[in-house]
Amino acid sequence: MRVVWWFATLTVVSFATIILSEEDALDPFKNVALTVSAPVDRVVRDAASPLSDIYDGITDRGDLVRENERLREEVEILQAQLADQQEVLLRIAELEDALEVKSTRPEDQLLVASVVARDPSPLKRSIAIDRGQGDGVDEGMVVLSREGSLIGTVSHAFQDFAWIRLISDPDSAVNAQVNTTTLPSGTEVLTLGTPAPSDEPDPSATPAPSGAATPVPVHGVAKGDLRNELVLELLPPEAPIESGSLVVTSGLGGNYPPGILIGSITTVEPRPQAPFKKAFVKPSAGLSGLDTVLVLISFEPARLSPP
Amino acid sequence: MKYAVAVILAWAFAVLDVSAMPYLHPLGVSPDLVLIFAVCWAIVRGHDEAMIVVPICAVMQDLTTSDPVGTSLLGLAPIVPLAVAVRLRAIESDFLPAAATVMGASAFYGVISMMVLGATGQEIAVFHALFRVVLPSIVINALFTPLIFLPMLWISPPPPAWLQGSTRLRSSI
Repeated sequence: MRVVWWFATLTVVSFATIILSEEDALDPFKNVALTVSAPVDRVVRDAASPLSDIYDGITDRGDLVRENERLREEVEILQAQLADQQEVLLRIAELEDALEVKSTRPEDQLLVASVVARDPSPLKRSIAIDRGQGDGVDEGMVVLSREGSLIGTVSHAFQDFAWIRLISDPDSAVNAQVNTTTLPSGTEVLTLGTPAPSDEPDPSATPAPSGAATPVPVHGVAKGDLRNELVLELLPPEAPIESGSLVVTSGLGGNYPPGILIGSITTVEPRPQAPFKKAFVKPSAGLSGLDTVLVLISFEPARLSPP
Repeated sequence: MKYAVAVILAWAFAVLDVSAMPYLHPLGVSPDLVLIFAVCWAIVRGHDEAMIVVPICAVMQDLTTSDPVGTSLLGLAPIVPLAVAVRLRAIESDFLPAAATVMGASAFYGVISMMVLGATGQEIAVFHALFRVVLPSIVINALFTPLIFLPMLWISPPPPAWLQGSTRLRSSI
């Protein structure tokens, strides 16, 4: 009987604390707990990292060999593209000088943060960083990898720490675009959401002329997935997407700046009868081994902006 | 004193859960050391102590993860009734009841976590979560049980006879 009473009491207390927690009333306690555990977390993570490499080496050896081969091929292709890009960059710089404009975003302010914990729940993909509201971090802010790829957004900010929802979390959805190179002749592309910015070609307004090879951005939504990390949904059925195409943020909705690299398409799921097709995306950032991340504090997401 | 030790160990396992364990993910899930520790305490040292230690473990886990505080409190609560039920076992074994309780508690914890996450507005793919998360968690947690159960068994005094289910089953009933 005592156990029954204990169980009932604990259940009531649990519901009460869940409600309080949802109202952020228990944030100071979580902040203190992370403050105490963060130094130990860091030491344990550093110590566990080599062991993890050994474990991954044993379990993923076949995958690593195949990935190595694929990466060698990719490096070769990318080196060739880099050579072309350098010429293009020079040309852009010349044009910018001539027009007295800059296409980059020099005003971006990034805050460096260390990862102090990773949520162990297999139902979520979250990490904790050692920066919080005291450092200017707020919920909804965009978080990038050291190399500048998108890794997620701030889901909850405490005074000194913050939890980041990774793009592979099932709750994450990012308006994305795939920069395809060509369209089949005469194909009309359906775009989703609000129209693309005026400096980008609007595919709905300008169907590719017959036989022409026109660069066309295809819009979709990159959703987190526990099985496949990232799935690009709501793609137009005729969109000429191929594996290897790069996926970037589209900027639609105002929660992410446009043009941030998300990943590359690995496979496209053929769904002939479906109104939309979907593709699987490999995130550019290694989401499982993050140590240092960058919080984009200069970009104010739409949800944080005043009306 | 024993509860102070429980607090320190629960905190240590909670920290391990968020730091080292995510690197180890056989079958796609990481072992939940806090859950295993709470179950082992309940089985080895009896449900009286577990009624204090289980909430301690739950609070430690909630404070170090992104879950709302209270999720683990709700998820780990079934450990004590499960441990009591297992104490009434007819088999003379130490480890099997502990492993069975870990499996049961893992299933409860997974399902309750899904329900809390769903109730707090997070998207849950139910079938995927059940078959790719909850089921592997049951197996993995049971496999990791000896790592905590055996040391705890060695350092703990033998439980009193009245706690043993076999004694009660042989009584006047």
